[in-house]
Amino acid sequence: MADQQQMRDEELVALSQQGDRHCFEILVRRYMEKAYHIAFNFTRDSETAKDLSQDAFLRAYANLKQFNGRSSFYTWFYRIVVNLCLDHARRHRRVAWESLDRMSEEPAEQRQLADSSYAPEEQALAGEAKRRVNETLETMPKKQRAAFLLRNHQGLSIADVAKVMKTTEGTVRVYLHRAVAALRQSLVEFV
Amino acid sequence: MKNSAPLETACKQYEEDLVLHYYGENGDNERRRVEQHLTSCHSCRRFLGDLQRVLPQMAGAEEMPQAFWDNYYRETVSKLAEQEERKFWWRSLFNPMRTWMAPAFGTVAVAVLVVGLVIGKGNLRLFVEPRGESIPREILADQNQLEFFESMDMLEALDRLENQDDQKTDTTNGESNRAELPGVVA
Repeated sequence: MADQQQMRDEELVALSQQGDRHCFEILVRRYMEKAYHIAFNFTRDSETAKDLSQDAFLRAYANLKQFNGRSSFYTWFYRIVVNLCLDHARRHRRVAWESLDRMSEEPAEQRQLADSSYAPEEQALAGEAKRRVNETLETMPKKQRAAFLLRNHQGLSIADVAKVMKTTEGTVRVYLHRAVAALRQSLVEFV
Repeated sequence: MKNSAPLETACKQYEEDLVLHYYGENGDNERRRVEQHLTSCHSCRRFLGDLQRVLPQMAGAEEMPQAFWDNYYRETVSKLAEQEERKFWWRSLFNPMRTWMAPAFGTVAVAVLVVGLVIGKGNLRLFVEPRGESIPREILADQNQLEFFESMDMLEALDRLENQDDQKTDTTNGESNRAELPGVVA
């Protein structure tokens, strides 16, 4: 058991492909936070993010035999997550501000406890800036947003983002530049 | 977070490289070129400073409590098990826990057969024997009588043939006689 926890992704995938579900469960534990956060960045809704990311694990396990090892497991898995998120975004065209609204509804004491270094005015500005960022992310082209989230939020290299999105590194660079330029523009008042 | 200084744009030809520079994605040549430019360009330095200040804040993920992840993991594992169960539903038929089902099905099958035989009271032959022409029981009782009737049929058939022959012969003779008589025109 302890040995399996130390195994590399490729080894765990190989054993999972032979029907060892426990090995796949180790991969679930390894990637669940990242998968959830990608989905959350797309949807801004905790429940939807949980459902989408869990669905990605189910699909990955069901199609594991199709994984041929030419790319790394995580780029293959991220592609499943991103495709599910893009598909979800297509079906549910809406701006979700729930998380931000919840944040603004929190009692002032709690917010001060969470981050006492900011004065109330600064906190309001930070909340407004965050709202702008999310609004800009919502309105930008989906692939551009995906490239930005994978690079900026998930820390994937541009090469890996290109693999996940099945495109060229040059295209990812353009997406990234446009996304950053748009975000910076949206924060004119705050930077 | 608010800054009163006006927003400055980077030099157009360096903007994309500055973004890549921030992410550490520039090659050696581009990195050296950008660093050299930054030493002399205030706008680009400020642009890069903005990226360094703003982008990490955007990436800050909402921290979830450990209980959330424990629950998430349990749910996912449970869903995986359900999915596998659905995929291999036929395995449940051979599940050792259900070995009682084989003798149960056998007993039910035997019971149905016995009940069918009792209710049918031996009338099974009706379903098995082919339905032929009905032959009177009196004839079937005696084999000699059957042979007799068969020979009678044969004799009757011979009689019919002889009569047909006779009729043909009569007709032929009549015609030839008429032809031989003088003054009779055929």
